[in-house]
Formats: sequence, C-alpha cells, structure tokens
Amino acid sequence: MHTEAIRTAIDTYQGRLIRFAARITGDLESGRDVVQDTFLRLCRQDLEPIADHLAAWLFRVCRNRALDVRKKERPMVQLAQAATEPTDPGAGPDRLVERDDLSRRALAALAELSPAQQEVLVLRFQEEMSYREIAEVTGRSVSSVGVLIHVGLQRVRTALGVHSNAPQGGGGRIDG
Amino acid sequence: MAEQRDDDQLTAYTLGELEAAERERVEALLATSAEARETVEGTRAAAAALRAALGSEPTASLTPAQRARVERAMRHPKRDWGRLVLMGGTLAATIAVVVAISTPSLLRARIPARSASVPAQSRVIPPSDLERLKALGYVVASPMDSSPAGGPPASEPSNETYAERRDNAFVPVALEPRSTFSVDVDTASYSLVRRYLTTGQRPPLDAVRIEEMVNYFQYGDPPPVDGPPFAVRLDVADCPWAPAHRLVRIALKGREVARGQRPPSNLVFLLDVSGSMDEPDKLPLVKRALGLLVEELGERDRVAIVVYAGAEGIALPSTSAADRGRILEAIESLATAGATHGSAGIRLAYEVARGAFVRGGVNRVILATDGDFNVGVTNAGDLARLIEEQAKSGVFLTTLGFGRGNLNDQTLETLADRGNGNYAYIDGPSEARRVLVEQAGGTLVTIAKDVKLQVEFNPARVQAYRLIGYENRLLATQDFADDAKDAGEIGAGHGVTALYEIVPAGAAFAAPAVDPLRYQAAPRAATAHGSELLLLKLRYKQPDGATSAPLEVALADRQQRFDQAPADFRFAAAVASFGMQLRASPHRGSASLADVLAWARASLGDDPGGQRREFVRLVERAQAVGLPDR
Repeated sequence: MHTEAIRTAIDTYQGRLIRFAARITGDLESGRDVVQDTFLRLCRQDLEPIADHLAAWLFRVCRNRALDVRKKERPMVQLAQAATEPTDPGAGPDRLVERDDLSRRALAALAELSPAQQEVLVLRFQEEMSYREIAEVTGRSVSSVGVLIHVGLQRVRTALGVHSNAPQGGGGRIDG
Repeated sequence: MAEQRDDDQLTAYTLGELEAAERERVEALLATSAEARETVEGTRAAAAALRAALGSEPTASLTPAQRARVERAMRHPKRDWGRLVLMGGTLAATIAVVVAISTPSLLRARIPARSASVPAQSRVIPPSDLERLKALGYVVASPMDSSPAGGPPASEPSNETYAERRDNAFVPVALEPRSTFSVDVDTASYSLVRRYLTTGQRPPLDAVRIEEMVNYFQYGDPPPVDGPPFAVRLDVADCPWAPAHRLVRIALKGREVARGQRPPSNLVFLLDVSGSMDEPDKLPLVKRALGLLVEELGERDRVAIVVYAGAEGIALPSTSAADRGRILEAIESLATAGATHGSAGIRLAYEVARGAFVRGGVNRVILATDGDFNVGVTNAGDLARLIEEQAKSGVFLTTLGFGRGNLNDQTLETLADRGNGNYAYIDGPSEARRVLVEQAGGTLVTIAKDVKLQVEFNPARVQAYRLIGYENRLLATQDFADDAKDAGEIGAGHGVTALYEIVPAGAAFAAPAVDPLRYQAAPRAATAHGSELLLLKLRYKQPDGATSAPLEVALADRQQRFDQAPADFRFAAAVASFGMQLRASPHRGSASLADVLAWARASLGDDPGGQRREFVRLVERAQAVGLPDR
C-alpha cells in the first residue's frame, strides 16, 4: 500500500533528513518542520517515477524547503550544539574517546569551508551519496560536485595535517 | 586548468567515482608517482576522518504531532494544500499501489519481519517499468501464488523474496536451432532447499533453481591439462523420465589451483551486524565461517572487515593473514548492535579493497547478510552500477546469505552476478566449510570470466530441445560473440553442468503451430555432419582480459541406455528430476521421488564429502513431507 511505503520512508529517512535540514536552517525545531513538510509532499507524490531514487528525491525536496525557511530566518549555525538523542549505540566507550579528538578537528575544519563545499561533503560522507546523487540533490552538475568535493576535502586534509602513507585507519584508531 | 583537473581526478579516484578509462589513466600515474600516491593516501585518511565525525552526529525524530499530521495526509492526499511550497513537480492523479509494494524491499531494513506482506489489490504497471523494477530486485513474486491447493503446509510466512521463474519450454529446432546461455556457479538454491526440507517445510517453487542444485555436487570430470582454463565433456543417453527422449550432459571443469599456487588475495568482508543477525544461524555462523577461511590464508593474503547496518565502519583494517591472531581477535569481537542510521558500508568496503589492491591477485569484497541491504548506497541502480564498475576494475563481489525469514535471495543473486562473483547460501557450519575452505579456490580465484555457451542442434537428428534450468541466464543468439555482453565466471576447480532434454527426429512431438515464412523457403534438413547431434561452442575471457577466445566441441550421436551412462551422468539426472518435481514442472515426465532415489543410490560413486548420500536423505525427507503433491 501507498501508506505502508510512506511509513517505511519516514522510519528510514526521518532521522537523517532532520539532521541534514537542521544543519541548513540552524536549529532542530525548524529542521523537524522542514522534514514534516517533506513527507507531506511525499504523500501527494506519485511514487512510481521516484521509487528507484527515493532518497535523492527526499533530500532534494528537504534541502529546497530548508533553504526557503532559512532565507526567512537566521543565517546558518552549527548543529553541534543542538541537544538530541545519540546514535550509534554500538560504539564502545574507548572507541568513542579515540574518535572524539580527530572528529572534533574534522568537524572544525568542515565548518571553515564555504556552505557549498560543506554541503557536498556532508552528502558524501554522512549520507554516502554518489556524485550523481549529490548532483541531483543540490541541482549542480556532476563535475561541479567533483570540484567542490575535491577542494573541500583537500582543505580538510590540510587542516588535519594528514600526509599519511600508512594503510587506512577507521576514524582515528591508533593501531591502524 | 589541466593541473586542477588532474587533482580532481585523484580525489574522484580515491572515492571510487571514476569510469574505467579515467581510472586506468590514474592507476598508471600512481604506478610511477610517489607524490600522487601520497596524495591519494592523505585524501583517503581525510575522508575517513570526516566520515567518522559526521557519522556520529546525532539524528532526531518527528514529534508525535508532526507524525500524526503526516498520517492524516497519507490517508487524504488531496488536502493540506496551502502548507507547502510546490517544487514544480506534477501531482499525480492516481497512486501506484504495486510500486508501493516494491519500494519497501529496499527500505525494508528498518522494519521487523511481518507476515503476509503482499497485499491483495494491485494495479497494472506498464511492462517496461515492471521489468526495470524486477531487474533492480524490487518487485516481489507473491509467495502465496506458488502454493497449490491442499497438500503439505506452505512455508512459514516470512519476508524472504524469490524471483519468479518459469521453466524453459521445448524449442523446435526448425524455429531456433541455437541455444545460448551464460554459465552459473551459484549453489545457493541447493542449500536453501536443504534448509526448508530439513525443517519439514515445502520449499517455495521459486527457490528451486535446478542448475544450482545440479552444480552443487562434485563430479569426477578431469580438469584440463593445458590450453584453455577449463575442460569440456559431452555425453548423451536415454532420458530416464521420458523414455522417447534423450538427455545430453555438458560438463565444464575449471583448472585447479593448488593452495600454494593461489595468487595473493586481498579480501574485504562486508558484514551485516544489524540486530536481526543476532541468531545462532547468522552472525555466530558468519564469524565461524570467517575463522575457517582465515586458517586457509597465508602471509601473501590480506583480510579486512567492514561492518554495516548495526555498528558502522572498519572493524579491521586490511591486515596480513600472517597476523592471524589479530584477525581472529577482530572476528571474535564482532557483535550485533540494533539498527542505526549508519551510512558507511559498501563504498567503504570498496575503498578499503582499493587501498590494498594486489595487481594480478584476487581482490574481492565478500558480503555476508541475512537480507539487510542498508549498505549505504540508497539508490539500487547506483548500487548495481557501483558493483559493476568495481568488478570491471578488478574488485569482484561474492555474496553469502545466512539465516531465515529475511533472506533476499533475488538481490543477493543479482548482486553477485553484477559483481563477477558467486552467491552461496550458508545454512550451517559444514556449508561454511564447503564454500570458504574446500571451495575457497573456486569461491575466490576466477580462472575464466564471461563464459558463454551456444549449442547448435542438427535438425536431421533433433526435433526439439529443452535447456533444464538456467532460465535467467539465457542470452540472445547475437550476445554469444558480443564481448561487451557479460556472462558468468568459473572459479578454480569449479565444475559446471548443463543438461538438455532432446526430442529426437521422428519421435512424437506436439510442435507449436507457427505460420510458414512468406519470403524465405522452409529450412532444409542438414546436409553435412550427419552423425552429429549438436555442436557446442564456448567463449571465455581470461580473468583480466577483454577479448574472448572460442572453443568448439561436437557430440556424435550414440545409443546409450540410461543405466549404461556414467555415474556422474545418472546422478546429475537424478538431481535434475528432483528439482523438476519440487517445482511441479510441466516437463517432469513420468518420474517419481522413488525413481530419483533409485537413480541416486545407484550412482553414489566415491561420494567425496558424503554429499550424494546427503542428497539421498534429502529426497527421503521430501517424501516424508508428502512431496510432490501432484
């Protein structure tokens, strides 16, 4: 049923959409409103044409709505201060601690970038979208997305002082 | 600026976003430039840091009031106009109910298993869209359609999904003298059927794939000595379930690779650690299977573990198998963790594989799941493309299914297909041992890829033919010589068997009525090679090759009664007959399960590993559940 699909979509995507929207509007409450509007829009949408790229569609609608809301209200502010429930219940305490230092610096480096660069890096590394999906969500061309990600990522890399040629470590584990 | 563009390319390469030609250019650059390599490493590290930092950012939910508002709108989609800013899309006047069935299969990860999830009403979708959705693994055949009236209890309600499949029919040679298909070495269907029968249930018809059941078993065909990477053998005898027909067995056997000769392996395990994996036949079995595999690896091999859907990220960076203790410790500490909004997954696994890429070796991502595909790529089309691109560039994908109730058999098979790998269903420790230890060569080491077969039948001797199984491996006639068209792979030591049921010329056959051609004369009877039944042509590529090489073998007709045929022939026929009866195939002829037992018992042979004896017990179980019921 149509309603089943929408409920599934809400359960699957609301968390990530609210996080994404709140990053744009600057606070959690308006983030929630934006996502409510996004799902209201979904209720009136013919599902068939968007079924195979539902996430990109949701994020695009959500982003456009969030930008409209922001224009009417305050400039962008970091979400980091918002008090919300934690995710990733699987993380052990020591893993959380190891992550924090590198993560803090990574987020700080991210915050120094232009809004366009921040947005594409978030879509790539938080939402794991492909260049093509990011292009669909942001309304940019795939090559623009590539350039923005490249420039942004290199600036983060410089800020983190990362010149490693050791094998990859996940999120800051020292024993990499 | 060319320089700027080069730099973008390095970043895009690091993130796995380049197409084949560009990627090869970058790899060539990396081979010669230490600076470029350092850039790639640094970029990867920065990406990993961002991923970890962003992944741990908290999410939130709609308030109950907001949720209620959306609920109301779901039921009355036309109201609440004024609240929204229209984005310019068209508002649909009708709602695609059938597609609503299909979307949950990708989003299903969050929802606990519900029974009878297929609704009663549906609307017709245009055929082209339906095919596209099916190909992406979305549209589900209703399990209720497969159950006959009465008979033994249907399988327990579950969220398992099997692609619908209709048996190949007899094809008149006058209509189409050539049969073309791709090899398949998946074996999942046999272990699935085994799981159902050993728990006293009737297997769903669409879980029974005869070619996978026949290919599960070891046959005694000798491997090649030199030349092509596989040996070919043909045999023909009377068809035991249709006395007027003949049965042809085509057997391919891949070159063996001794353990010491195996090329170095770079393996990345991508493991589902969602809450649903917390059952004895799931994550604990995965861990045990991995442990078995690691025992088989050596200092030239590397193992990494990436987890998704419960926790997320790299549980073990790429580690030399010489450091066995560390790997086993990482495996031991794997644990399930509810459901998260995690986003690391398959892209990360491929990035890790790229980071430890071994030229000329085995580079493979091995996905183990009970059906949860929340691997971080949200668009199914992009997931398939990602897997295909990675396979083209040398990182193959193998899929392993575990557990019951949530298995997405169709998707697992499709992904392995796109990823130039194989799909196995692990129903217990001995199957884990079989797939990851005994068959590790075959599971991991590909010796020939894009292997295609084309059989041309001699109209003087053959009136009609039927390929048993391989329904979703059929190729168009012109695809045989088209190297751009993908086909299946053969692993070291793997055997592939294909069976054709033949209606000889002169035998009774109700040919379908087809109008004669207006502009061409009716086909004449064969004029040469009069004693041959058929010509088998094969094409295959070397694992890292792009052009195919041909092979040809003709089969001369000979009279051979079924009981005179070699044991392997008779055993394969027994398995095929069993499969046809489980599927209630219209072509199963006059055979019964008692016949299957008699044929199997008489062809046990050496029975390495006791597999054939196990098959006999399985058939007895099928009898005990009252199969077949027609």
